[in-house]
Amino acid sequence: MSDKYVGKRIKRTEDPRLIQGLGHYVDDIKLPDTLHVVFLRSMYAHARITGIDTSEAEHAPGVVAVYTGRDVVEKVGPVPCAGALPGLRVPDYRVLAKDKAVFVGQPVAAVVATDQYSARDALDLIMVDYEELPPAVDVEESANNGPVIYEEYGDNISYKLTAGEGDIEAALASSDHVIKQRVVHQRLAPVAMEGRGVLARYYPGEKELTIWSSTQIPHLLRTQLAIMLGIPENKLRVITPEVGGGFGSKLNVYAEEAMLGWISMQLGKPVKWIETRRENMQATIHGRGQVGYIEIGCKNDGTVTGLRYNVFADLGAYHQLLTPAIPTLTGLMLSGCYKIPAIQINITGVFTNKMSTDAYRGAGRPEATYVVERALDLVAAELGLDAVEVRRRNFPSPDEFPFKTATGLFYDSGEYEGALQKALDMAGYDQLRQEQKIAREHGKIIGIGVSTYVEICALGPSQAMPAGGWESATVRVEPTGKVTVLTGASPHGQGQETSFAQIVADQLGVPLEDVAVIHGDTSIVQYGIGTFGSRATAVGGTAVYIAVEKLKEKAAKIAAHLLKSDVSNVTFKEGRFSKQATRAAAAAGEVPEPVLPAGQAPAGALPEPDTEGNHISLQDIALAAHIAKDLPEDMEPGLSATYFFEPKNFTFPFGTHIVVVEIDRETGDLQFLRYVAVDDCGKVINPMLVEGQIHGGIVQAMGQALYEEVVYDEQGQLVTGTLMDYALPKASTTPWLELDRTETPTPVNPMGVKGVGEAGTIGATPAVVGAVVDALSPFGVRHLDMPIRPEAVWRIVNQQN
Amino acid sequence: MKIEGTHEIRANRARVYQVLTDPEVLKRCIPGCERLEQTGENAYSVTMRAGVGSIKGLFTGNVKLEDMRPPEHFRMTVDGKGQPGFLKGTGDIDLEEKDGATVASYKGDVQVGGTIAGVGQRMIQGAARMMSTQFFTAIEAEAQARVDEPPPKHGFFRTALRWFSGWLSRAFNRKP
Repeated sequence: MSDKYVGKRIKRTEDPRLIQGLGHYVDDIKLPDTLHVVFLRSMYAHARITGIDTSEAEHAPGVVAVYTGRDVVEKVGPVPCAGALPGLRVPDYRVLAKDKAVFVGQPVAAVVATDQYSARDALDLIMVDYEELPPAVDVEESANNGPVIYEEYGDNISYKLTAGEGDIEAALASSDHVIKQRVVHQRLAPVAMEGRGVLARYYPGEKELTIWSSTQIPHLLRTQLAIMLGIPENKLRVITPEVGGGFGSKLNVYAEEAMLGWISMQLGKPVKWIETRRENMQATIHGRGQVGYIEIGCKNDGTVTGLRYNVFADLGAYHQLLTPAIPTLTGLMLSGCYKIPAIQINITGVFTNKMSTDAYRGAGRPEATYVVERALDLVAAELGLDAVEVRRRNFPSPDEFPFKTATGLFYDSGEYEGALQKALDMAGYDQLRQEQKIAREHGKIIGIGVSTYVEICALGPSQAMPAGGWESATVRVEPTGKVTVLTGASPHGQGQETSFAQIVADQLGVPLEDVAVIHGDTSIVQYGIGTFGSRATAVGGTAVYIAVEKLKEKAAKIAAHLLKSDVSNVTFKEGRFSKQATRAAAAAGEVPEPVLPAGQAPAGALPEPDTEGNHISLQDIALAAHIAKDLPEDMEPGLSATYFFEPKNFTFPFGTHIVVVEIDRETGDLQFLRYVAVDDCGKVINPMLVEGQIHGGIVQAMGQALYEEVVYDEQGQLVTGTLMDYALPKASTTPWLELDRTETPTPVNPMGVKGVGEAGTIGATPAVVGAVVDALSPFGVRHLDMPIRPEAVWRIVNQQN
Repeated sequence: MKIEGTHEIRANRARVYQVLTDPEVLKRCIPGCERLEQTGENAYSVTMRAGVGSIKGLFTGNVKLEDMRPPEHFRMTVDGKGQPGFLKGTGDIDLEEKDGATVASYKGDVQVGGTIAGVGQRMIQGAARMMSTQFFTAIEAEAQARVDEPPPKHGFFRTALRWFSGWLSRAFNRKP
């Protein structure tokens, strides 16, 4: 394998078309005679639907059809939930509400018209009679004695789960200190730059349905839609064209996707729906949404003895694909990168009259990291120790790997002290603490936050996943020598068209430009799982890697045959197979006669492969494999290999983030003075892509720490319905990010890559909050809930004065 | 959401109370009112065009006046629904005499839902203030009109002009 591309800062081959506006997103795909769909959505959080009058809308100009819950409830199956937990209550989630609406934004009716404006205008003509019901909004109230959403359940509890190992009661009882803290992980909106969008086309003659959807999981979507629509899976094709970001929000199967497919089947015409930003805020999954109670026990020296986390998870009104599974990931990762002998999580999954929560960048792990990192900061504050020292005292040593946690995981590899030390050196930590002391004496409010995190990535072994944890790849060398890679992963901004090409180009010794990575079309690509959970490179990339190795084995056999040698005598280097004997022969000055395969190709047909005597290029092998006139006996023609890679374990990337902030006494506003991050995601294929992922992750974490919050009022009305009301981090609020990394390859896959898509989001949030809390510690602050707004900070600073 | 404010109306309190509770006057003065029909004692069914910012639409609903204590107080309950969302609220209106004029103060609790809640909530205070200014300016014109002359005409520009001239005269007549 050459090292021309892997590990190099190769610019994304995707970018030229995207930057020039030449990419094709769902809305860029125009089919003749396309009809447009808009959805009427519930304006109540909880209401009985007593009647819907669509007659006026049906006769509005341009309107082709109007559908309500009554039309589809028997025809389209429920929106699926893949979570399987003992005793899990799964409400019947229909694509249109029929008798009851249970969250603001729930689709109630669909209007189909010749253009989207007529469709939108006709929405106003649909008369829905609602009988308002009291909503369940606050998660803790809803768990205890709030209004009940599903009468048949009697309460709003979807499930309760206790997990963890070790005797937590004994651990806490034997501690020198037990610290308790309530923490809130506010709801967040993923806000992908491109909202959702669906285009569906049904050919009644062929009975074939094609769905273009902005999704992260084309194959899983195909399977689920086939079930929902009752159409054979081999007659359903899902295409994901360019996807403008997902962050987990498109790792789902949505009501609108099934509705569009069904409508197209009813009308026999293409139908399109493009989500508006308002719909995106209302009816695309939210992330986080936990309120929890931490209890951490420690010895006087800072050694942690036990950790308990009782959490109320705000699931929303229905389960989307992974809704109930997300809090369980929080439980899995509660040990952080520390040796904690006893851990217990008690999850109460609660229905509320809101949009579902589900996977959002990090998916349950940012919550875990936040809990354990805040808890360690609380231990440091309680004992008057430095935050770094407390962390150090609880690290497992490198020789304890694979390290077993009290949450039942085996961490593959880790060198936590190394990443921490590197970050401390980069930041000049001791110096920073000195400067902080002096600055405080001068009346400045400066804080330093540290988080040492570990995350669970490369999801994952199929045993641990609701629907398969493997990934697939097919690699083909075409007759002209160009290489085609079909990956089951579904990149939507991560740049794997580039990084997978880097891997393959190095393995095959071909130029990067000769490799095309194809993804996101279920008719072209073999079944795959998709892109989420920082898995695409570690699992999908490994599948590509192994497929190429398989392909090379076959190519080597063909090479040996054509070179009239034995496979064991053939070596591969930089795109050429060579007869090993040639080296010795060449050294002795003898050059053997060229060995050419016999062929009687008519004029104008493909050229004959050229063996150049003792060498044969991969291109020529590909040609020979396709012409198939001279192949080893019993060998299949063609040159391709497919591999389905099943990882044996997750991977556990880790790192240290250090944040320095200064608070403005007059306004409570915050300024980042430094941001240092050292991440270890194992072997790096393309440092530029890794940095890009970390940049984005950190900025999204800053969003949670300081700006973002999905707010529902006490009536369950979504108050943050636009980007004027939902504050996102901006370039102007983002500091220079000083990044570095350590490289601890994972033994889980042959390339040693771990995954990095979510690392920033996981590591940064507690570091930012820790820095603000540290800044305000002279005011007696030990914890603040997110998002930490200037107003709250100003109140603390100024009331204490 | 709490909404409150005061407006000075240069007219006699009893007269202001009378026009404020007269359905014919209300129909003319409520901005965007397209229909107002009596459905019972002090109860009306209303259709009005209203909105916040770009979120506009037709609302239908009911208005009820209660706790009527002329000429100083009444309570208004509104319940309306339209495509942009719904609105429910109760407000107390108090009238006070001040130097021959009447100070109308209103104070209420309003609940909104649907698109208005998600998009316009942060603008509702401003929109409510603008609508109440329009409303009370129109009421002032009504109260100043003699009972025997035809009622004044309203409309956005006429009301704006009235408000502006009222503002000017108040500004210049203010005692030091």
